[in-house]
Parts: sequence; C-alpha cells; structure tokens
Amino acid sequence: MSSTPRTRFAPGSIWTWLLIALIGVGLVLTVATNAVDALFPPAAATAQGQEIRDLYTVVFIIAAVIFFVVEGLIVWTVIRYRRKPGDDELPPQTHGNNLAEITWTVVPTLIVAFLFVISWQTLNNVEAVSAEPELTVDVTGSQFAWTFDYLDGSGATVASQTVANGEGGILALPVGRSVQFRMHSVDVIHAFYVPAFLFKRDVNPDAQNRPTVFETTIDEAFAGQVLRGQCAELCGIGHRKMTFEVHAMTAAEFDAWLEDAGQEPTPAPSGDVGTTVELVAREIEYVDKELEVPAGAPFAIDFVNEDVAGVPHDVDIRLADGTTIADTQPVDGGASTTYVYGALDPGEYTFMCSIHPIPAMTGTLTVQ
Amino acid sequence: MATTAPALRPAATSYRSGLYEWLTTTDHKKIGILYVVNSLIFFFVGGLLALGVRVELAQPGLQFLSDENLYNELFTMHGTVMIFLFIIPILVGFGNYVVPLQIGAPDMAFPRINALSFWMLPLAGILLLSGFVTGGAAAAGWTSYSPLAQDRPLGSPGPGQDLWVTGLVLIGTSSILGSINFLVTIFKMRAPGLTLFRMPILVWTVLVTSVLVLMATPVLTSALVMLFIDRNYGGSFFDPANGGDAVLWQNVFWFYSHPAVYIMVLPAMGMISEILPVFARKPLFGYKAFVFATAGIGALGFSVWAHHMFTTGSVYLPFFSLMTFLIAVPTGVKMFNWIFTLWRGKLTFSTPLLFALGFLSMFLIGGINGAFSAAVPVDFALHDTYWVVAHLHYVLFGGSVFGVFAGIYYWFPKMTGRMLGEGLGKIQFVIMFIGFNLTFFPMHALGIAGMPRRIADYAGNAGWNDLNLAATIGGFLIAASILPFVWNVFVSLRSGKPAGDDPWEGNTLEWATSSPPPPYNFDHLPEIRSERPVFDLRHGRTKPAATLPDPGPVSQPTH
Repeated sequence: MSSTPRTRFAPGSIWTWLLIALIGVGLVLTVATNAVDALFPPAAATAQGQEIRDLYTVVFIIAAVIFFVVEGLIVWTVIRYRRKPGDDELPPQTHGNNLAEITWTVVPTLIVAFLFVISWQTLNNVEAVSAEPELTVDVTGSQFAWTFDYLDGSGATVASQTVANGEGGILALPVGRSVQFRMHSVDVIHAFYVPAFLFKRDVNPDAQNRPTVFETTIDEAFAGQVLRGQCAELCGIGHRKMTFEVHAMTAAEFDAWLEDAGQEPTPAPSGDVGTTVELVAREIEYVDKELEVPAGAPFAIDFVNEDVAGVPHDVDIRLADGTTIADTQPVDGGASTTYVYGALDPGEYTFMCSIHPIPAMTGTLTVQ
Repeated sequence: MATTAPALRPAATSYRSGLYEWLTTTDHKKIGILYVVNSLIFFFVGGLLALGVRVELAQPGLQFLSDENLYNELFTMHGTVMIFLFIIPILVGFGNYVVPLQIGAPDMAFPRINALSFWMLPLAGILLLSGFVTGGAAAAGWTSYSPLAQDRPLGSPGPGQDLWVTGLVLIGTSSILGSINFLVTIFKMRAPGLTLFRMPILVWTVLVTSVLVLMATPVLTSALVMLFIDRNYGGSFFDPANGGDAVLWQNVFWFYSHPAVYIMVLPAMGMISEILPVFARKPLFGYKAFVFATAGIGALGFSVWAHHMFTTGSVYLPFFSLMTFLIAVPTGVKMFNWIFTLWRGKLTFSTPLLFALGFLSMFLIGGINGAFSAAVPVDFALHDTYWVVAHLHYVLFGGSVFGVFAGIYYWFPKMTGRMLGEGLGKIQFVIMFIGFNLTFFPMHALGIAGMPRRIADYAGNAGWNDLNLAATIGGFLIAASILPFVWNVFVSLRSGKPAGDDPWEGNTLEWATSSPPPPYNFDHLPEIRSERPVFDLRHGRTKPAATLPDPGPVSQPTH
C-alpha cells in the first residue's frame, strides 16, 4: 500500500461505517430469522430429556439477555466514542470505579450461582436410577457394532439385537416404562447418544467390568416413532457408521416384539452346495487369509466367530475395485454360521469383514 | 528519542545478519520473531488440514477422501497443530519479543535456553507431521483417548501415534523451559521503578500463564510417557485389556489440557489489554481487578478439568459444574474492564483495534456458549457434538486468533521498523470476521440437532446439509482472508511506511526505544512511575533518565 492512507478506508470514514453496518444488518437479519429455531433442541422424546430441554431454555434466555446487553454495549461504545479527526485532546483518564467493579463481580456471581442450583436440581432428576426398573437393556459397544440384550427380572437375556455398521437389528423400546441401560464396551470408548433423548453416556471398557448406567422413560406421544442414535465418542475408522435406530412402541406392541425377537432364528437351509470351506475369526483376525473354491458352482463358508460376545464379524466378497458382490449378515462373537454364496467366475476376489475393514480381516479368495 | 541519544556502549556486538545469525541467535527479539514466523507456517498447515475436513463435510457422502482413516488423521493433526504448534507458541513468541522490552530488560534471563526452547518446536512439528509419510499420522483425535490410542489393530497401530507422543513431549519440554525463563525474567530483571503493580498487563498474563505451564505440563508429559510405555513396552496404565484404566488418561490429559485453554487465551487477553488503552487513549479500566481476575482464572483453571468428562459416568458432577460456572465470573470482570476502557475514550480504528474488537465480541460468544456446558444436564445433550466445536473455536479462534492478529498488526512496526498497510489489514479483518462466523455459528445448530464431532460423513436426510455447506464456504473465506495478510507482510517488508519509534502513541516501554530496537534493547529508559511510563513521558509527567544503569554481564547477546 502507499504510505498515505486511502480515503476510502480512512479510519472513521462514513463509507467504512456504512459498509460495516450494512453487512452487520444483513447478517443479523439472515441469522435471526432462522437462528432461534435452529438454536433449540428437537422435541425431547423422554421425560428426562424434557427436563433437560426446560433447563436449556432457562440457560438460553439468560444467555441471550447477557449477549444482547454486553454485545450491545460494545457496539454502542464503539460507535459513540470514535475519535473525531483533528481531536488531539486526551479523554478523561479514568482508572477505575470500585462500585462498578464490585457490581459486575457480584451480579454475575449471583447469576451463575442460580444457574448452578437449577442445573444441579435437574441433574438429580436426570441421573435418578431405580432399584427395579420396568425394563433393563444391557448395551455392548464394540468397533463398530451395538448389541442390545433385553434382560428379564433374573438378569437372563430374553432377546438380543445386533446392529453392525448401522445395519441389522433395532433398539425397540416401550413408551411409558422406565428403561435402565447398563452399558460396557469390549474394546475402546464409545458413547450411546440419541439426540431426541438430549442425552449421551460413555460406554467404557473397564478392567473391573463396571457398567455405565442410566435410566429413561420415553414419552407416550412418541409411540410409533423412529429415533436416530449414534456413537458420539471417536472410536476409529468405522465411528461414523456406528448408528442405530430406536423404535418407540406402545407397551403391547413392545411385548409382542420382544417375544418374537426372543425366538431363536432358524438358520437358512444351505441347499445344494458343492464345496464348503472353513473360516475362523479370532481376536479381530481371520485365521486363514487364503481360501480356494471351484469356479462355476455355488459354495459355502462355515464361519466360526471366536471373539467375545458383542464383537460381530461377517464375510463379504468384493471385486478388486471394491464393489461388494456378496453382502453377508454379521455373526456375533461366540457363534457360528454357514454362508452360502452363488457361483463365481474364475479369478481372485477379496473376502473381508465389512465391520472391521483392516488387513487382519481381509483375505484372498481364489476361484479356479 | 533513542536514535538521537549518544551511543553509550561500543557497537561490538552489532547485528550479524543472514541465515547463520537467525540459526544461532540468542537475542530474545529474533527468537520471538522466529516463534511467530514458525507458528504462522504451522497455522497455514493446520488451516489446510481443516479445509480438508470441511471439503469432506460440505455434502453428505464420501467424495473427497476414499480412505476414512485419512479423515481421522486430518482432524487429529488439525487440532494438534493448531494448539501445540500455532496458538501456544505464537503467544510465547509475542511474550518473548515483548516482555523483556516492556520490563526494560536487555534480554531474557537465560538466552541460550530460550533458543533451545524455540528450536525444539520445528523439530517436534516435523516429527508430528512425518506420520503422514510413514504409514499414517496419529488418528485418535488431538485428545488421543485410550484405548483408541493404544497399539492394536483397530486402535492406533503404526508409528504415527508414537511420533505424536514424542512430538508432544518435545513441545512440553520446550514449554516448561520457556515458562521458567519467563518467570525468572519477570521476577528478576525488571527495570528500576517497575514494581509488580506497574507491570503491563501482558507481562502479568505471561506470568500467570507461565505458572500454569509449569504446574500443568509435567502432568501431561508423564501421561505421554506412560502412554508410550503402554504402546511399546506392554505397560498397563490406560488399557483396560491389561488391567489399566481408560478414564485415568482423560483425567491426566485434561488436567493439563484444560489449563492449556487459559495458556492459549490469557496472553491474548494480555495483548488486547495493551492495545485497547492505546487506541482509546485511556488507561486500562480497573488494572488491579484485571490482575486479580487473571490470577483467579489461573487458579480456578486447575479445578475444572473434568467438565470435559461429564458423560464418562466417573466424575463428581456438581463440584466441576460449580467451578466451571464460577470461572465465568473473573472472565466477565475482564470483559467489563475492556468495555469500560473504551467507554468515553477516543477510539482510533486502526487494524489492531479492529482485531481487538473482534476478540471482544467473539470471545463473548465463546464465554456464553461455554456456560451451557457448565450446566451438566445440558452438557449431556451437547457434549461431543458440533456445539462443542463451535464453542472451542469461538474461544480459540474468535478469542486467541483475533488477539494474535491484533498483536501482529500492533507490534509489526516495532519488530520490523515498518507499518503494515491499513487498507489490506481492514480487508483481512472484514473477510476473516465474516468467514469465521459463517463457519462456526452454524455449528451451534448442527450440534443441537445432534451431529456428533469427528464423523467423516452424515446421512443426507438428517437435515444437516445446508449448515455444513455454509460452514465449508466460511472455511474458504477464512483461508481467503489470509491472502491479503501475506501480501501485506510481503509488501510492507519491502516498502512499508517507516514506523518510527512510537507509531501508535504507546504506553509501555517497548515504544521508548528504536524500531527495531538495538540488540541490547535500550540506550536509556524513562522514569517509571506508573504502568504507562511512555505515556507519562509524552505528557510531561516524568523526565527521561539521563543514563541507563549498567545492567551487568547478562546484557549482551552471547553467541
């Protein structure tokens, strides 16, 4: 730039101010029309979430008032106390004012004390856990799957749902009944998060197997709705895929669903299969990484998952370019299954676990 | 003034110039400039990493990155680089340059340790980034929670995470050495008459920051060593699979990393506390209250770390909630002190003041949206969502980075003897201000709507598309605002307007010497009767001292 300041950008020039003001007004209008709605949480699906939402509203109102007062004070001061051109006189050299300073120490202290007290009260309600909840769900987090085990009064599992890579089972929950979640992880830290609950809780691996626990009751009005859930704590390459769906059901629907889900699934008949090969997964690794099957005929893989419960695997088959040509259902740790595949042309294919797409769970399938 | 005074010492150690001088210098001013330049380079690197993240999130679907692990590397290294290689060191750089000048000292107390502290940083930066070419950089987030950061197939196998640990240990060592250097310099090397309560606020904030660094950084360093042992020698500190405790890592990590927020904010607060009085032509309103508020933030800063862990289920929630609410009080005191410094002033809207006002208005938002997370139940909804990303950027970008640019425009004339262009400076400010808000304000709404952090992709029907696109456009505006800045520096270094000793009518001692100052800083010092010695001298309240008392053998830069 030249050494003489250009008048267009001269400090305090009317055009600079007009420009800034125009941009400011434009921004404020655009933001304000959408902001208030967008800055409020979705309708809360649970009794606890509703309390959190009420607390949020109080905090939001206080925050908004403070914001407009202080930001307004800044803007007004800046506009009001510009230095006029040629004004070389010093303004009054004020060093402080005890009354003002005590005021702006005490008043904020009272405000935050109030906020602390009301949030503590809400916290006690949100954290309350009953000795005998109407339903207990044992949640297992793993990379990158959720397992939801429904427990009966004695703690035995009556039904189980696995959601791997966001696919598979669901988390069905009855409305109007208190549900206690007891959560633990088999590998890294995950977090159980349902935005409509306005709540999340970490799912920790723990050497002493202490679960993290919370309890919630879905509002009757949400029966029939499907709510989005997702892992909220970074857990590795498949983190974003660790989604699940909460299906809110009336009590009667839920009881029927639970009975249905508790039936042992009958494995699909294997039919006419020429060749069957064996494959074992252990500690997130295929024991064999080379398999051979004949070309032009259907074949099967007897798959044994020797990992702990809550760690599902599958055996998908992919082309060299990454296209999946056989998409299989995951098998939970400790279980086994037989996957049946259609006839393939001769060549080399990749078989891999879609939940753990790492070299240890990738192998070569030679078809000849 | 200084230029017309007779030379009091022979110019035996006149400035050597050239690369050799920059590589071997122990002059706090040159080391300060090295810190600033090095940090800005890493700022650009960290910015490019962030653009990678924003491009991927502009639309649903994986379009830009086929390798999802690379996405995790991008945001991990973005956070790491911005915090450890940009914000913390650039503030240390300003401290290095300005603190000895403001206290009338000829150099830092330990010039060679000062050089050592600096040179660890580029080395650490190269170590951290070299992960990208040795099979993948660290990808467990800048927080590196265990067990994800452990050496296991789906955790953090490969050398990237070890390089991250090693780089951070180096940076931590640099910080510890630097903080001792600052403490000794500030306590032992102040000019006659410069009592503690006449120290410029920037010196106070660097003092408190150094105490924080000295108390907190060794905790992080030991945690990092334990993580390294876990990863490489079968330790069992943080891995439950071996009987360790995953949440323990979070406790020790945040015991450093929450005070680190104040390490990243306090010096920036100090910088704008220097700038606002100068451009308002008034003293700082409530100097002592400001000092006590700074010390209060430093002390309370050690009792709030677990507010990053409210959802772990392993924290005594009411205590950390209360402390987190309380820390808003001293922060609010400072906000009112700043506003009433401007009140009834006569404001000159030079670029440093614009950036300082950017700090005030944006840091205000960063403070207010932090109060939401102090209310624990509300934090249950907001934790680990984009709300937190918005909050931390309003604090660290809206606060610290705007403060840093205010400082660059303010002290560039002292460092180089030339002014930065006002026109380009204002263009940079306007673009950066708009870009910043366009990027980070929508993230509040994304977080409220349930978008978690650190996901490479999201469902197209989740309702997050428009806000993500807006944030990405804003990200590119921020990047665009860097271009006029770089051009401004380039042009000003070649042909900028000569600054003279005191272009802003400053208050503090750095404006009582030439621009740039001589290697030994001062030919003579004015009398010091208040926290504004140069103001007093300009308005005839004090007389210039005739001679400078011989500061003794530490005065000369040693090579």
